[in-house]
Amino acid sequence: MQAEAINYIRFGILSPDDIKKLSVAKLTVPDTYNEDGYPIDGGLLDQRLGVIDPGLVCKTCGARAKTCPGHFGHIELVRPVIHSEFSKVLYAILKATCFECHRILLDPKQVQALTESENPEAVADADEEHAQRKSKRAQVKSGKRCPYCKAVQPKLKFSQPTYFNIGDRRLKPDEIRDMVAKVSRDDLALLGIDPSISDPSWLVLSSLLVPPVNVRPSITLESGERSEDDLTHKLVDIMRINQRLEQNINAGAPQIIIDDLWELLQYHVTAYFNNETSGIPPARHRSGRALKTLAQRLKGKEGRFRYNLSGKRVNYSARTVISVDPYVDINEVGVPLAIAEKLTVPFYVTQWNIEKAKEFLTSATYPTIINIISHDGKRKRVIDGNREELIKEVAPGYIIERQLMDGDIVLFNRQPTLHRISIMAHKVKVLPGRTFRINYCTTSPYNADFDGDEMNLHVPQTLEAQAEARLLMDVQFQIFSPRDGGAIIANSEDGIMGMYALTKDGMHLTKDEASYLLGIAGIYEMPEHSKNGTYSGKDIFSMLLPKDINFEIKTSYGPIKIKNGRLMEGVITKEAYGKGNLLFERIVTDYGFDRLREFIFSSSKLADAYATLSGVTVGVKEYAIDNELEQKRVKIIHETFAKVTEFIEQYKSKKLEPFIGYTLRESLERMIIAELNIARNNAGETLVKHESSNNSAVEMARSGSRGNVLNLEQMSMFLGQQATLSGGRIKRGYYTNRVLPHIPPNDIAPVSRGFVTTSFYSGMHPVELFMHAVGSRGSEVYKALLTGRSGYLYRRLSNALQDYYVRKDLSVRDVNNNIIQTIYGGDAMNPMRSRFAKEVK
Amino acid sequence: MSDKDDNDIVPQHALMQAKDAKEVLSEMHLRPENLPKIFSTDPQAAKLGAKPGDIIKIKRHDYGNTYDIYRLVTEE
Repeated sequence: MQAEAINYIRFGILSPDDIKKLSVAKLTVPDTYNEDGYPIDGGLLDQRLGVIDPGLVCKTCGARAKTCPGHFGHIELVRPVIHSEFSKVLYAILKATCFECHRILLDPKQVQALTESENPEAVADADEEHAQRKSKRAQVKSGKRCPYCKAVQPKLKFSQPTYFNIGDRRLKPDEIRDMVAKVSRDDLALLGIDPSISDPSWLVLSSLLVPPVNVRPSITLESGERSEDDLTHKLVDIMRINQRLEQNINAGAPQIIIDDLWELLQYHVTAYFNNETSGIPPARHRSGRALKTLAQRLKGKEGRFRYNLSGKRVNYSARTVISVDPYVDINEVGVPLAIAEKLTVPFYVTQWNIEKAKEFLTSATYPTIINIISHDGKRKRVIDGNREELIKEVAPGYIIERQLMDGDIVLFNRQPTLHRISIMAHKVKVLPGRTFRINYCTTSPYNADFDGDEMNLHVPQTLEAQAEARLLMDVQFQIFSPRDGGAIIANSEDGIMGMYALTKDGMHLTKDEASYLLGIAGIYEMPEHSKNGTYSGKDIFSMLLPKDINFEIKTSYGPIKIKNGRLMEGVITKEAYGKGNLLFERIVTDYGFDRLREFIFSSSKLADAYATLSGVTVGVKEYAIDNELEQKRVKIIHETFAKVTEFIEQYKSKKLEPFIGYTLRESLERMIIAELNIARNNAGETLVKHESSNNSAVEMARSGSRGNVLNLEQMSMFLGQQATLSGGRIKRGYYTNRVLPHIPPNDIAPVSRGFVTTSFYSGMHPVELFMHAVGSRGSEVYKALLTGRSGYLYRRLSNALQDYYVRKDLSVRDVNNNIIQTIYGGDAMNPMRSRFAKEVK
Repeated sequence: MSDKDDNDIVPQHALMQAKDAKEVLSEMHLRPENLPKIFSTDPQAAKLGAKPGDIIKIKRHDYGNTYDIYRLVTEE
């Protein structure tokens, strides 16, 4: 479908005539219902304005509540009031024109200069035009005497929201209206105003448009009491004051009383347009809550635009808590039966599937048909009463809405939806229970865990949408990151540990164990190679791999060699099997996404089963150190401190050789930091070397399942240097150049600047604990600030890029067919495929 | 200004014949104003003597790829 091109949109102001034309009723009674609960004629819920009660008929169009579009009415104000949202425009006009002859305060020369500078072609876009007008107004401002009638201009004082004063005298709205009405068309044009569509005198209101009742429906409470909309309340206020003002005028009341009521009328009208106008107290409900008037309905996050138009609620969706199920495939989602019974998928009846359609219709229990849509688009609910009849009626061309079933494609989403992989297509697997079930390998793209997280599910309703979801959004196509092409859907934690333990050198399993594990993975044959009736863990892992795969990689644990589908050498760690691994890329290049998905699923089941079988226990004992290691720890610290002391001595005697480009003091600091870093690395190495493979904490770090050497070291050896945000050592504190009073002034020894020599296991001294707290607080604050800032940055970026697309010729274009990039990224590479495909066409 | 003044990384710019330009535009389904722009006062455009409305072809080499991009000459 090709959209019609819009040439222009013109905004103007409603004239009093426009209001009379729009209005179907002049409202005179400042009330809503009479004693019988019937809308009063001429009241604010006059039946000519439309009806909202079912059964009543609109007196204007004759339609009932559902079909009547509503009609505007109007209130005639006995005294005019200024439209508060436009008071600044009135001020600009008054300031720029003479108070006597109402001509613009510019001499003919200046006018000519202005007209000549106005080159229509130079006014390229609206922004520029706006800027031009602004500058024009500014130029007009100065001028003490009218260049035409020579009248001296009095000083006009404007105060928010609607007050105009000359000296002590307040200008009444009708005076202002008369003044601006006398400004000539040509002079208004110089101010950028076209009086044919927005005459400034219309900014002073003599009649007020009243929106239809549909816009401000009243609600009936359970007690039978009626509760009116905020807008209706405000309109009642306006009409009451209007009536009182009229009575007082007719009774010939003193001018002061009339002026006070007039001002009150002005206040109510101002509040009706915008209850947050600066300079007026907000009108309040009896409960003390500020009324939501016209501007409040539109403005801000909860306003009409951002809440109802940019963001909408949708049908065919479900939300519940998520939980794990390792037996749900990575591209599946477990859906509770209760949800599957509510959600529907359209089933297009044809001559070839009509039998199936009838079969669905016949069933009274799941899976059955919820609605049936006939040729004329009428939707009927299927109930037991009309089932027989509908089975006879159904014909090719009908659409029947059947309940969600296994294999249906759905979109699954977790908020915040920060990137494309926060919404992926899954296949439905209907399960008992009340939660959505997902495979834990898919938690990372969603950033989900199971501590109460909820996720949303959407059912695509057209065949096109279903095909698109399946081909573009299926989980298996999102395994590789769009950032760098590394695997982001992969096994983690226990799964890594299980695979590591299984494939360790010398790991042999009995036939019983081996067949149990393989059975869980869905493999029903035994490995070719066996030794004395036992099977090696490596051979069991090999059964999961494609039969003829060849793969070699060097990991920090040692080289891994896979030949002809058999793991010949090496232990599977996170580097080979976890996030960012290269094995997946080999599998996908040679065997495709389906095979990779199958590998991830079956291997995760096997790894879990083995981890469960072997078990891993971690306790405090893993972090306790023996005497020998304690001595090594003390030795490392002593040696380091000795070196640092030596540097300081050299510095004091000016013997220290500075680094190029650094002062002597800076060089000293760098040398100390470098030395402390060496100490930390040294301690880590010593620790890992000392601990045997009986230490499961070390094993976890080695396999990559959880924790790293630094964590271990901080628990067993020492915490090391606590850093500040700027990356240097902690130094801020007292003016005597020390962090705490417990430290000698000007001391730059490691312990005085945040080096912690104790471990989490041994506990910290008070000064060390303080240093640690400084570091922790720093990183916590940094994290909070960073998420906020990067979130907003991302929002702006995605809004700016949202409708750019890559065309078939690999150029990036916007909706107006402008070229953004002649070739996508300069190389036409798709980062999600870039690790294993050269160019994606 | 001569070619010698150009740095190695300045890609080669060439003024297109009207006929060739038309062909390229129709091939890419573009109107001239959809193209990226280049000022007529741009050193490379000025060297070619390009006038507003002309189209300049630039031979770019990024990441080992060589490809052409086209720019519409505009007035500054």
